[in-house]
Amino acid sequence: MIKKDLSIEFLGVKFKNPFMLSSSPVGNCYDMCAKAFRSGWGGIVYKTLIKDPCDECSPRYDMLTKEATPFVGFKNMEQLTEHPLEDDLRDITRLKKEFPDCVLVASIMAGSDEDWKILAKQVEDAGADMIELNFSCPQMTDTHLGSAIGQNPDLCRQYCKAVKSATKLPVIAKMTPNITDMCEVALASMEGGADAISAINTIKSILNVDLDKEVGLPIVNGKSSISGYSGKAVKPVALRFIQQLRDNPKTRNIPISGIGGIETWRDAAEFILLGASTLQVTTAIMQYGYRIIDDLCNGLMHYMEEKGVDHLSDLVGRANKNVIPAEELDRDFKIYPKIDDDKCVGCGRCYISCYDGSHQAMEWDKKTRRPTCNTDKCVGCLLCSLVCPVGAISKGEVVFKPGRGKGRKTKDVII
Amino acid sequence: MKDYLKEAEEAYTPLLAIEEASRCLLCLDAPCSKNCPAGTDPARFIRALRFLNEKGAAEVIRENNALGAICARVCPQEKYCKLGCSRSGIDKPIEIGKIQRYITDFEANLKMEILRKPEVELKQKVAIIGSGPGGLELAALLRMKGYQVTIFEKDEKLGGYLRYGIPSYRLPNDVLDLEIKRILDLGVKNLVNHPVDDDEFKKLKEEYDAVVVGTGYELAKTLPMFEDDPHVELATQFLKRAKNEGGDIDVYSDTLVIGGGDVAMDVVTTLKRIGTPRVIDVVYEEFNEFRASQKELNEARALNVSIIDGYVPMSYDGKVVTFKHRHLPSVISIEPKHIILAVGQVVRPQFDLDYNLGEVVTNNYRVGDSNVFVVGDIAKGDKTVVGAVKTAKEAAYFIDSYLTKAREK
Repeated sequence: MIKKDLSIEFLGVKFKNPFMLSSSPVGNCYDMCAKAFRSGWGGIVYKTLIKDPCDECSPRYDMLTKEATPFVGFKNMEQLTEHPLEDDLRDITRLKKEFPDCVLVASIMAGSDEDWKILAKQVEDAGADMIELNFSCPQMTDTHLGSAIGQNPDLCRQYCKAVKSATKLPVIAKMTPNITDMCEVALASMEGGADAISAINTIKSILNVDLDKEVGLPIVNGKSSISGYSGKAVKPVALRFIQQLRDNPKTRNIPISGIGGIETWRDAAEFILLGASTLQVTTAIMQYGYRIIDDLCNGLMHYMEEKGVDHLSDLVGRANKNVIPAEELDRDFKIYPKIDDDKCVGCGRCYISCYDGSHQAMEWDKKTRRPTCNTDKCVGCLLCSLVCPVGAISKGEVVFKPGRGKGRKTKDVII
Repeated sequence: MKDYLKEAEEAYTPLLAIEEASRCLLCLDAPCSKNCPAGTDPARFIRALRFLNEKGAAEVIRENNALGAICARVCPQEKYCKLGCSRSGIDKPIEIGKIQRYITDFEANLKMEILRKPEVELKQKVAIIGSGPGGLELAALLRMKGYQVTIFEKDEKLGGYLRYGIPSYRLPNDVLDLEIKRILDLGVKNLVNHPVDDDEFKKLKEEYDAVVVGTGYELAKTLPMFEDDPHVELATQFLKRAKNEGGDIDVYSDTLVIGGGDVAMDVVTTLKRIGTPRVIDVVYEEFNEFRASQKELNEARALNVSIIDGYVPMSYDGKVVTFKHRHLPSVISIEPKHIILAVGQVVRPQFDLDYNLGEVVTNNYRVGDSNVFVVGDIAKGDKTVVGAVKTAKEAAYFIDSYLTKAREK
């Protein structure tokens, strides 16, 4: 079995691997965290501590499905810890004592400078390695808390400042995606002293509506609320925010802990390539358990091997430079589809999608039940290759648009 | 008798049904929909299911075929819809019958009423003799056009071979009962325990505007050496006996079955399911030319029926049956406790009809220029349930044309 060093340094703390539980139901008490550490997780962001335990509703989850696939997306209505503060602090102390090589991050939330300071001091005393400030829970019953803070740059700055004045621990500000521009609040947090950004928390959502009872799901005594959406479906939104943080000269260099739909090592590698140096997971654990760490770590090791890197940090942010503004993209050429008749099973899906969703370039032979591309009409969108169920359509010939690409060779186009 | 009465094939759960529907490639020119003799459009109902429209899917099936829940279970789909399935190019065809069953079960659970009573009542009367799949489908179609339809059935209950032939573990009676109820609810009248003889047939021709003969292949074939032997039972008799008693019939320590068609497979699997320890099936054809559907053969094998292929019976002395191989110098003798012959069925000639190779001579289902039509096995076409449905749909068209002309005169 492959062995590669997955360790990475984040805010001066060494993680044996970049994978952490995010602050959520999966890291809610000593027993859970101990099992996660034993399973191989590099770190845990303990479920957010707050002065007064939260009062939760039942039921509190729902999922989005597609065909027979569950958990395409996941909705939760939980807030923060349900335990008395002293219980959580005791568990943090015990975990740090028993798992000194694993990283324990204490997530906290408060509504005043004073409360932020007290909590920060308490978790530092309890032995936490760093602190994450929950500026982003979108379903707090106190509407001044959670994502209400993360949408307000002044509050972000102010609360970071308060926390930093009370603790020597590194501080991460956890961002909400329920905002247009994350850089503004991230920058304000940095100005307040935040050492890192974690992104994203969940997206405000209504997943499904019960058509009989005419109420959103989950139904809590006949009613429902807007609350956080997570899982595979939110990955694209998370990656976009992280890229934007890495694009902005003012936030470019702040360490990022990536969160949002990480389920496989491939998802993890994508976050790393876009600039995250640690990664946080909840939804996939809720569906599959802590054991997913096995394939996250092993898969990532194989990827490092393929890439020929010995240090995970060498991969961080390598894709950022390849995301450019739309106006800068090379629009001189198009790529025609290449159809493999041996692989084709004659379903005609490429024809349907090309006709109904693109430029009517795919032609259909009713007798042989095989498609051909009319290059006079083809714009090279390659929708056909996406809908083909057997992977029979690939990128084929590259041609320059009329009057374009002077002096260039089509073989130099990276496809 | 649980093994006999309980439907052998597991029903899909909602998750499995949508999973199977998701395997469908949703073809542009779906081969499945071109291959159904009954004109069923699997591509359409699978797509409806895929987009979570189960009610719409049920309409697609039911509006096309009044026996949709039956065909879902008994149709040899590998010869029809599944034959050209594009998914075969990847792994294996979509389980169209199982999806159809899921949707028709859904329809039944919701007590959907898809078949509509006629908007206009016509005075013309149609008599249908026989209530097998051809007669039932025809009754539904003509009734929905407004005709006054009466079914004449010789047995105690409607259904013909569906009722008295196909074993319960393939087609439970409650499924059949519901399909028949839907048809009767349209206003189809029926007379059971009512065989029609030549005299009554003549009367019906005068009293009804059209008379349809759908009496099927009533007679089981036999072989000369077994004729009139009290130890030898005919397949159709055995299947009827088993079905009437819900599988609760005496079993022998061993039974020899002769024959290799779908009926023979029903016989051997019934024997096994009611607890016969040893079932030996000797088949004229070799496996590469087998007549039974692959599904039925597989089931017989799974139940550990001993199938001996390529042998033809040579002699029977009242105890021992001797077979010889059709091509090899090989002879086997078996002394069974019980013998069942499943060597095919034939038509029972009646009503002075002309026959050619077991099928009534007609012109577009019409006998000469009379008001007599035929449907089902005795009409030209495949001798399957779906084949009977096909004849019913086509016959309905010609009968309606004939009666419309008569009405307009």
